[in-house]
Amino acid sequence: MRTFTSLLMPAGFVCAVLAVNACTKKPTTASETAATSATPTITIGSAIYKYEDTFMSGVRGSMAKAAEGKATIDFVDSANQQPVQSEKVDLFIAKKVNALAINPVDRTAAGILIDKAKAANIPIVFFNREPMPEDMQKWDKVYYVGAKAEESGTLSGEIVVDYFKKHPESDKNKDGIIQYVMLTGEPGHQDAELRTKFSIKAIEDAGYKTEKLAQDTGMWDRIKGQEKMAAFLGSRGDAIEVVISNNDDMALGAIEALKAVGYFKDGKVMPVVGVDATAPALQALQEGTLTGTVLNDAKNQGQATFALSYVLAQGKVPDQANTGYAITSEKYVWVPYKKVTKENMNEVM
Amino acid sequence: MGAAWKRIAAFSLEYAIYIVLLILVVGIAIREPAFLSAGSLRNILLSSSTRVIIALGSALVLISGGVDLSAGRVVGLAAVLSASMLQIPEYARRFYPELPNLPLFVPLLIAVAAGLLIGLFNGLAVSKLRIAPFIATLGSMVIVYGLNLIYFDQEPNNSQPIGGLRPDFTALGSGSVASIPYIVIFAAVVVGLIWILFNKTILGKNMYAIGGNKDAAKVSGINVDATLIKIYAIAGALAGLAGVLEAARSGGAKSNYGEMYELDAIAACVVGGVSTTGGIGTAQGVLAGVLIFAVINYGLTFIGMNPNLQYIVKGLIIVAAVAIDVRKYWSRS
Amino acid sequence: MSAYVLEMKSISKEFPGVKALDGVDLKVRAGTVHALMGENGAGKSTLMKCLFGIYRPDAGEIFLDGKAVELASPKQALDLGVAMIHQVLHPVRDRSVMENVWLGRFPIKSFGPLRWVSDRAMLAQTELLFRELDLKIDPRARIGSLSVSKVQSIEIAKAVSYQSKIIVMDEPTSSLNSAEAERLFQVIADLTRRGVAIIYISHKMEEILRIADDVTIMRDGRLIGTWPAADLTIDRMIARMVGRDLGQRFPTKENVPGEVFMRVENLSSRLPASVKSISFDVKKGEILGIGGLVGSQRTELIETIFGLRPKASGRILIEGRELAIRSPADAIAHQMALLTEERRATGIFPMLSVLENIVIANQRRYLGKTHLLRDAGRTADARRYVTELRIKTPSIETPIKNLSGGNQQKVLLARWLLTQPVLLLLDEPTRGIDVGAKAEIYGIISQLAKQGKSIIFISSEMSELIGLSDRILVMCEGRLSGVLPAEGATEEQILRLATRFVS
Repeated sequence: MRTFTSLLMPAGFVCAVLAVNACTKKPTTASETAATSATPTITIGSAIYKYEDTFMSGVRGSMAKAAEGKATIDFVDSANQQPVQSEKVDLFIAKKVNALAINPVDRTAAGILIDKAKAANIPIVFFNREPMPEDMQKWDKVYYVGAKAEESGTLSGEIVVDYFKKHPESDKNKDGIIQYVMLTGEPGHQDAELRTKFSIKAIEDAGYKTEKLAQDTGMWDRIKGQEKMAAFLGSRGDAIEVVISNNDDMALGAIEALKAVGYFKDGKVMPVVGVDATAPALQALQEGTLTGTVLNDAKNQGQATFALSYVLAQGKVPDQANTGYAITSEKYVWVPYKKVTKENMNEVM
Repeated sequence: MGAAWKRIAAFSLEYAIYIVLLILVVGIAIREPAFLSAGSLRNILLSSSTRVIIALGSALVLISGGVDLSAGRVVGLAAVLSASMLQIPEYARRFYPELPNLPLFVPLLIAVAAGLLIGLFNGLAVSKLRIAPFIATLGSMVIVYGLNLIYFDQEPNNSQPIGGLRPDFTALGSGSVASIPYIVIFAAVVVGLIWILFNKTILGKNMYAIGGNKDAAKVSGINVDATLIKIYAIAGALAGLAGVLEAARSGGAKSNYGEMYELDAIAACVVGGVSTTGGIGTAQGVLAGVLIFAVINYGLTFIGMNPNLQYIVKGLIIVAAVAIDVRKYWSRS
Repeated sequence: MSAYVLEMKSISKEFPGVKALDGVDLKVRAGTVHALMGENGAGKSTLMKCLFGIYRPDAGEIFLDGKAVELASPKQALDLGVAMIHQVLHPVRDRSVMENVWLGRFPIKSFGPLRWVSDRAMLAQTELLFRELDLKIDPRARIGSLSVSKVQSIEIAKAVSYQSKIIVMDEPTSSLNSAEAERLFQVIADLTRRGVAIIYISHKMEEILRIADDVTIMRDGRLIGTWPAADLTIDRMIARMVGRDLGQRFPTKENVPGEVFMRVENLSSRLPASVKSISFDVKKGEILGIGGLVGSQRTELIETIFGLRPKASGRILIEGRELAIRSPADAIAHQMALLTEERRATGIFPMLSVLENIVIANQRRYLGKTHLLRDAGRTADARRYVTELRIKTPSIETPIKNLSGGNQQKVLLARWLLTQPVLLLLDEPTRGIDVGAKAEIYGIISQLAKQGKSIIFISSEMSELIGLSDRILVMCEGRLSGVLPAEGATEEQILRLATRFVS
């Protein structure tokens, strides 16, 4: 009897969580909508590197929306592990999907996935993480949709440049050098390294000198960003002239740390730039705490990925006319990043 | 001479963790004298606050001879649950667009209760179903994460970070009274309550007894199952509370909040002298363990140490602290 | 050739703060049983650890067959013909008997560069060894499935297989029943006939007088002397071990059994092969001894009464009122106390202080108005019992694991006395503790009975049963085989009852 009660516990908890849901609305996810209302003739198998990734859930939603009424997309989670993803791809091949749309966990593993797809003659579109160029050359039905990571760094650097041009008083010590602190993402992550490098490069290309006061990893995480920023402020204090962050979560954490020492009130400001244009980041732009962010265009990446997969699934060769996106080197669709500041934020909302 | 040295050696062993803490502070201060400031103290206390609450929950479970791997994911769930119900009405992407302004304590209670419920489940699994704690809480860790992801991925949120939290909520995390942050006060109260639980209550004494020798505890008339269930439930509620405060402090929440916090908490406990085989540990030791990690995190960034090197320093501290602590029990037996 | 197979001369060993051995001599003749006696802490184990290469003596020399030797490790000791049978055996439980015998020196076969363990050779060698010692054990059986006495025989066989000239046995009969002990004595006689010397450590005086040729007595790390066993009596040995005359071994009977306090009617356990329809009673102020062989389910009986094991049927009445006892907590609520047989496994909380160990079963007593525990009451009670029971401990904050066995046992007694029990169930209360502490525990038990408390105690020492009890209840294979008045009872009578149902 007691055993029985204890088995009820987890069930009770699930009910409790779902009850909290139920008080406002019915849960429906974008992918379910796509799956139920699509014509069954064309199926696309899509593996996302990690479901909980904020940006990828945006891309996923956009793909599902674009597919409505045209094709069924089977989405699976690779749980941030390449072996899991490889198994999922095997499963798609066994199911004989018409095309694969893969967001690789590990870009170097794409070659093996291409071999598998080629053997089964199923066209494959990679997105968001770029496979090695030599792998891309393995087969003609391999495509890539994504953004140039360095561009996000360049654009965030440009936002800093724009800000300093408009607010020359931000060079607080008037030495003509921009003293910055940098919050980086996970060590070894390609985006983190490129964003770090190219943001500074863009500032220097615009003719400014820079001085790095501090740099540490916030692991993409808001709380860690907040704590690292608190430490920077402790050791460097008001000498900091700008905060550059590899993503919005860490930038928002940094803003909390800045608020804690009196910034963003009584006219005390600090330019903070991030990348991603997440909903809370847009809110911060609105409030005037975040200076700018860079939109990695989830909507267009999702649409382009679907468009390419859909054309390939029908056995056709994709071009600008049938996909709506320019294709470079016969294999690549580059979706540009966008600078987002308070002025243009309504365009992306 | 010999006796004096022996006394010094015994003293150093007994207070090893506090000495390590002192050495760290002094070492960092020599590199960067500005480290010794009220601001640093405040920041270290801030980042210790939520962690000590989780670590004390883990300590309860560890001392009773178990382990709670679900704590980190409970933090994430509680953060998301509370944040989702406490957004400002004008925020563009509200989790519940139609939700009226709830009294602050309602979502907080729901979040802490969720933690308590998961703890209760852990306790029942460990005591009544006799599942090894490592396995039981590993299971609930994964279950809780899944529940959180489902909740977080609902329309219209679709796994977007939850922002735009109500100022009365974020004030819990960032506000202060007489320049002492509320969150530090919360943590201090929790440390005090747990100290009382450990030292002045039957539940606490029974926890040590069960961790020290479960069979002897049974013979001594202790209701082992009931005690374990209470302990896991308290640990779950503490993790829930920490999750709420984590959301309030950072002004947002995501489903990955709290990831690996359970291991950080266990590491802090172990460095603070809690035995992973049960029966040993103090609230003040856990606090010292948490502070050591906070000082490392803050201090090493403060002096600008290469982040990759920081990992190595942390790992070495864990190993060294435990090596010293183990000697403490050798020398006596 | 020396007259002595082993000579240890002026062995000294110092640990931080303690002089464990102070110039001790030990001379052992080949083919004899040499008993080594002394209270716990006298230095017997340290001396034997020096012999077995576990400790290195600070001073002194060891001669084997007249040749000076250095013993740096147990491996070296084994190679030189010194083997040790430890009190608590730690076989590799999940492996076979033969693997345990040949562990560390498995017979190896090779083919070119390949080398592997030959199971066939190992089996043959084990069978040969067992035949030689008349052991009827399957070498392929999992050792964990065998009884303690068989594991011990295997351990002795292992010692023989090393061609040992000296075998140290540390309390070898402590976990054997009388029949098993008899068999061990036969094996010992057989070994001495082959010229092997046995160094025999035991607290059991009768045993030593029976089998030993020479007796060496130690006290406080010093040698008191070596005598032929024939010249000694129990009283003389005790006097030399303790350094004072203990007077009688057992306290004079002062308790007067009154009316019936508890009745047990047709008690049966829910577990198979356990207690079967047992009925008995115990009177107020009575000491009821329970005798029987290992496996007679004596422990199971009192643990079933205490609610630690499930009962299938039967009634327990206290002063005529039937009780429902489902857990130890219920039993404690009815003022019962249980001192378990396995002090380490189910008694002490090793890491906790003496204080916590004393008060753990009695916490509610210290709850203040705020529902928090009051330290003043806890420490006062702990101090009182430390004084009353003469518990030797540096302080009440000392972890109990640092105390000697006898003092740990007294702490556990204190724990139960604090609950103010009217019925005490004591399971082997003097096992593994030294004579001095034993006498004190006898005194406490007798004192409690005099206060009118009822006491049920299990013992495997016949003399203890006869000397301490008012009546002796004997069990055999889960059943009650008889009740004797202790006055005039003999060991033979008890043994006969204990084997009554053995087929």
